[in-house]
Amino acid sequence: MLLAYRLALASPRVTARGIEASEFAVDADRHGVQAVPAIVVDDRYAWAGAVPEAAFVDRVLAAAAS
Amino acid sequence: MNTRPALGEREQEAVRSVLEGLERDVEVKLELGPTATPVTLLAAGGREIDSIGLTRDLVEAVCALSQRVSLTVVEHDEPGPWPRTTIGGGLEYLGMPAGYELTTLVHGIVEAGRTEPSVTEATLARLEALENDVTIDVYVTPT
Repeated sequence: MLLAYRLALASPRVTARGIEASEFAVDADRHGVQAVPAIVVDDRYAWAGAVPEAAFVDRVLAAAAS
Repeated sequence: MNTRPALGEREQEAVRSVLEGLERDVEVKLELGPTATPVTLLAAGGREIDSIGLTRDLVEAVCALSQRVSLTVVEHDEPGPWPRTTIGGGLEYLGMPAGYELTTLVHGIVEAGRTEPSVTEATLARLEALENDVTIDVYVTPT
């Protein structure tokens, strides 16, 4: 979660939001979230699990470009 | 009725210590109201959790631990994605910041309170090349 926040603070183009999956279960189901942390980029499920900063950026940018 | 403080003494001391690292003032906004898709959350033993009340207690308790942190509470009548906590104008957290997610709230405040980005130069360079806006949602749980 903190990596997403750090990216948002580092770039005006990035918006980051944490969502508690139990309270927002409808949204979590809609995105196919089955494990946490689950990362959704531009409203599309991207991946689940914690990764280092460089890999996080790689995956976010790849998901945003797809 | 639960009359226990939202944070115990040791938690308060730990959070206060972390917030001492703030380099600038941070505004926090907490929005409360009826949820668009209500769910019932149960604690161990089957007790129903008042997520709105607990969220308010937790956010107020954390923000009270630093003079650099100010809190505004907004109560909505219309259903929406509440509770929503907005940190420093741009970082959002939807839901109750309890358990592990208390760390998200506290360290979100710390990140917003930095005067310089806390990512690597390589990351900064890649972000500067972004041509379109990107929204990152991270689904989490308190346990």
